[in-house]
Amino acid sequence: MVITSSQQHLLKLKHPKRHNHYGFREFFQFDPDKGTLIDWNDGQNILTTEDFIIGLVEGLEEEVGNSSAAIMYSIGCEWGKKDAFFFEKWFEKEYECNIRQSNLSFLLETWWWPFTAQGWGRWEVDMGDRRQGFMFINIFDSAVARTLGDVGKPVCYLYAGLFAGFFTELVRKQLSCIEIQCYSMGETYCKFLLGGQDRIDAASFWMNEGATARDIEKRLRGGELLK
Amino acid sequence: MLNQLENLSREVDGRYASDAELQFLEDYMRSFHLRMQTYQKLQELEVTMVQQAYVKMRSADASIFAGNNREETNRKCQRDMVGSLRATALTVLLDDPDAHQERFLLWLQSMMRSLGKEQTCNQLYTAYQELAKQHLSPAQAELVCPILELNRRMTGTNP
Repeated sequence: MVITSSQQHLLKLKHPKRHNHYGFREFFQFDPDKGTLIDWNDGQNILTTEDFIIGLVEGLEEEVGNSSAAIMYSIGCEWGKKDAFFFEKWFEKEYECNIRQSNLSFLLETWWWPFTAQGWGRWEVDMGDRRQGFMFINIFDSAVARTLGDVGKPVCYLYAGLFAGFFTELVRKQLSCIEIQCYSMGETYCKFLLGGQDRIDAASFWMNEGATARDIEKRLRGGELLK
Repeated sequence: MLNQLENLSREVDGRYASDAELQFLEDYMRSFHLRMQTYQKLQELEVTMVQQAYVKMRSADASIFAGNNREETNRKCQRDMVGSLRATALTVLLDDPDAHQERFLLWLQSMMRSLGKEQTCNQLYTAYQELAKQHLSPAQAELVCPILELNRRMTGTNP
């Protein structure tokens, strides 16, 4: 997660127009004297272990029980909303172009690259159903799922919230997100559905009934919704 | 090369490296003069190669650099063509295709895919390979072409 820092990335000052700066040594700047780690966009970063993620997820579960999923989702949502503003600022500065004038796929790839560099996993966005009001996002190597391992249920609520928050700000329309397939369910990658609340509710209902990600995709593409 | 050096310093911590472990340094030293020569030659040829690649690509497909603002598209494309040639030259000098892939190609691949420019990349790196063979000595071209081919495979093809 990124907190804006007052420090400045020195390599960026030297090459402000450089776009391919996601190698570990370029993207991050360590300051051993201050004990800080900032990234290319001057965000303050914190390195955490897998134990930290386990502690966060299991500690929260112990405190609030089943509500922990909703809390993680809300945290993600707030993060995503804030990050949308943070992103808008650095994107416009780096590319000298308004985010609304940029090619959408290019914009999204650019948004996700810092997350890839920070260890949140690679992604793939499937915008084929965008005009129908929903889209799918695949995450390969989710930090949360990879850490928790095969627990037989989706665990990436933080990511779902992050996507909901970010895209809500980006398209200026309330969107929700649900993880419909997770590495922690024994799948090879995580899959998220992003769309309006009615579609997310339908997907959640179908999942509880035992539907797979593929079933959900098929039903949504067939125009099905809850009656 | 830099990755290999880093691996070496990790692996041999507290002991002397074996001859086999030092072999890559010997190989690098042996090829260094040629690498340096090739790097300088590419620097010298930069404008020629970019212009000739541009002409080749335009003659194969007149619409290739078309955009809403032709001048701006041309400027950006030529800037990117220069950038990728410089990254390739540096990779030849340092003999570090792994770092090239990690620091440049993975990012470029996702960007080119998001813009649907795989075909353009395919044409660009094919043209660059032809030009490298035309302008460089066979030994120099043998160093450059595999990197250009790596660029083409990573950015010029659909998954």
